[in-house]
Amino acid sequence: VIDEDEALVGAALNGSARAWEKLVRRYEDKIYNQGLRLTGNNSDAMDLMQEVFLGVYRNLHRFRGDAKFSSWIFRIAHNKAIDINRRKRFMTTSSGRSGDQGEDDLLDKIPGRSSLEAEEILSDYQTNKIIVSMLSELPISQRLIVELKIFQSQTFDDIASIQGVSVNTVKTRFYSALKKLKIISEEKNVLP
Amino acid sequence: MSCPKTQLLLKEYFSDELSLIAKNEIEAHVSSCEFCNAEFSELLETRKTLEGWQHQRVPHWDRGEELFRRENGNTNRVFSFWDKLQWLPTGASAVMLILFLLNTELSSSQDGYNISFGSTDVSVVYLENELSAFEESQRANLKQAIQQIEAREDSNNVELLRAALYQNQQDTAANLERIYALFDQQRVRDLEDMRAGYQQLMDSDYETLRSLRQLAQIVSYQEQGL
Repeated sequence: VIDEDEALVGAALNGSARAWEKLVRRYEDKIYNQGLRLTGNNSDAMDLMQEVFLGVYRNLHRFRGDAKFSSWIFRIAHNKAIDINRRKRFMTTSSGRSGDQGEDDLLDKIPGRSSLEAEEILSDYQTNKIIVSMLSELPISQRLIVELKIFQSQTFDDIASIQGVSVNTVKTRFYSALKKLKIISEEKNVLP
Repeated sequence: MSCPKTQLLLKEYFSDELSLIAKNEIEAHVSSCEFCNAEFSELLETRKTLEGWQHQRVPHWDRGEELFRRENGNTNRVFSFWDKLQWLPTGASAVMLILFLLNTELSSSQDGYNISFGSTDVSVVYLENELSAFEESQRANLKQAIQQIEAREDSNNVELLRAALYQNQQDTAANLERIYALFDQQRVRDLEDMRAGYQQLMDSDYETLRSLRQLAQIVSYQEQGL
């Protein structure tokens, strides 16, 4: 049974612009929301989304259908989020959180975004604003795990595979991330 | 104070591969351990907060269609039935606008149909002529209407006058009859009076004659006597 994603990928590879558009429409909202949570602001989320679809477009011929298209596209989004955060890190002066991480992964050397930038998000979504400001306090590696586990409902095995670390590390990071978010949440409640 | 099992147990609790037995064991401990229970509740609360994310629609963007078409060429683009028709309303509007702007006129005559673009005398002068002709006809109509109203007024007046006169005539005739009757009565009465007068006169004349006759007899008598 060929699923709809695979059919659309096939048609797009044959040059159907309509199939491409349909494929993009199926995932654009999900990738955009992922971008909002990972970057904390609308313009970076849009950049992320466009880069993801550019990456998908450039690598469409490499998609073999042995994995689900959704997993494939979220893996691309994951990598693009890391790229964007890395770029930001080099473009802006370090915000002094470099000593914050205890993990041996390179990802943890990338600082979290200032919660001020979270203010840029649409104020219509008050809950999202709170979540983004909480997530922005996490290092990108933990933020990505929270994203994959809570919002993408991925298994720890999948996350370990995506991030190239052990399952135990992923579990530890997830637990640490939740604990940290709990503390951030308490701080934000105490300090309005 | 804390529980040494907290991290280990809660780390596993969120694992997807957790067996039912292990899950029950963790829950049994968590429910009996004050520290683990507090931590567990808070972590669940945090997860619940995150799960409250409101899905946002992506703002309008190009979707990389331009890039796709550029790199794939437009030749492969598959048009659906509705794709072909999507410009129909716009096209029809454009054609109608052009026809309007060119002042297209379609007329039929004995020679057949004739389409003309941009009429020669369609100008301000033409429009003014049309307008003045229209004004003239309106004026004429108004005048005619006024005349009709006036005529109706006149006929009404005549009728009224006639009715008044008729009424008057009727009255006059009745009056004349009454006067005539009166006169007649008077005449009869006068005749009566006249006849009585004549009678009286005649009677007195007769008396006079008789007196004269008596006088003559007396005279003749006296003459005889002499």
